Amino acid sequence: MAAIYSLYIINKSGGLIFYKDYGSAGRMDTNDTLRLASLWHSMHAISQQLSPIPGCSGIELLQADTFDLNCFQSLTGNFQLEYSEKLDVWCWRLDKDGQLEPKPFCELVMGGLVLLGTKVFVVSEPGTLHMEYLLKYVYELYTDYVLKNPFYEMEMPIRCELFDINLTQAVQKDRVALLGR
Amino acid sequence: MQFFGGSEISPSPPPPTVSGNNAHMLYVFNRNGVCLLYREWNRPLKTLNPQQDHKLMFGLLFSLKSLTAKMDPTSAEKGNLGVPQLPGQGCSFHSFRTNTYKLSFMESPSGIKIILVTHPRTGDLRESLKYIYNLYVEYVVKNPLYSPGAPIKCELFNSTLDQYVRGLG
Repeated sequence: MAAIYSLYIINKSGGLIFYKDYGSAGRMDTNDTLRLASLWHSMHAISQQLSPIPGCSGIELLQADTFDLNCFQSLTGNFQLEYSEKLDVWCWRLDKDGQLEPKPFCELVMGGLVLLGTKVFVVSEPGTLHMEYLLKYVYELYTDYVLKNPFYEMEMPIRCELFDINLTQAVQKDRVALLGR
Repeated sequence: MQFFGGSEISPSPPPPTVSGNNAHMLYVFNRNGVCLLYREWNRPLKTLNPQQDHKLMFGLLFSLKSLTAKMDPTSAEKGNLGVPQLPGQGCSFHSFRTNTYKLSFMESPSGIKIILVTHPRTGDLRESLKYIYNLYVEYVVKNPLYSPGAPIKCELFNSTLDQYVRGLG
């Protein structure tokens, strides 16, 4: 049985840009994976809003009955989704010209605003170790082989052969243990 | 999902996992999403009014449960995303961790949800949540003046709970 079941990369607006399955039971179709990705995106944002302490950056580890979900979020992203007491709705933070208001990072996090960055998450067997290193490494691969690819358009699905090859190598069980050192 | 045996309170509560008072808050919801109890011990950041906060918390748990049920990599038959599931049905979750807090979650067979928010480095709290559920059964359900589905206003329950959660940390 594989230690890693699947890997997802989602962009800043919650769209799935990369999905790879490494042997989970019952295949999911494309629509299901897209829905799961955007659901995770919103749950991640809500978890920041519910924090009892300022400075929360979202769920890092979700422990389910049959799997663990480790998530890494990049620090570069949009600050969006603010709860407005006055209007009683969740809304985008816009200034009067309709642009996102530029604010310093710490001020935004402290004010209970939500960071929506690129997220990499991996579904693995319960208790699998060193997943945070794997996620950081996958993010490195993403920056090296995807973002630096001149033919890649930001926020679009990833179709890069070199990225695929390097990712497959990284995900192999023994490599994950090595990355932890 | 485990179902619990007799309703007796186990003679001794499970041992504390970490030292130091580290519980932030506790929620109890019934299966209709009504917040029966909200206790707060340490919560410096409040972004929402209490009602909105409870709604958002229940919504988060509900959606995370449907996410884990759909994502479950060990079963082939998972149904569609968002289909409501009975307690104990499908793959659920017992905790999640962020950089600022850890949320532990338990659902009883009757759909009572207990949520405990603690310091992120707290260990496994599944046994502690079961113990809190036992307290609920003993002090609330067996109280003849309590009507099911109403917010919990039992002083004895609150004080025992406070004492236990303090002892947890």
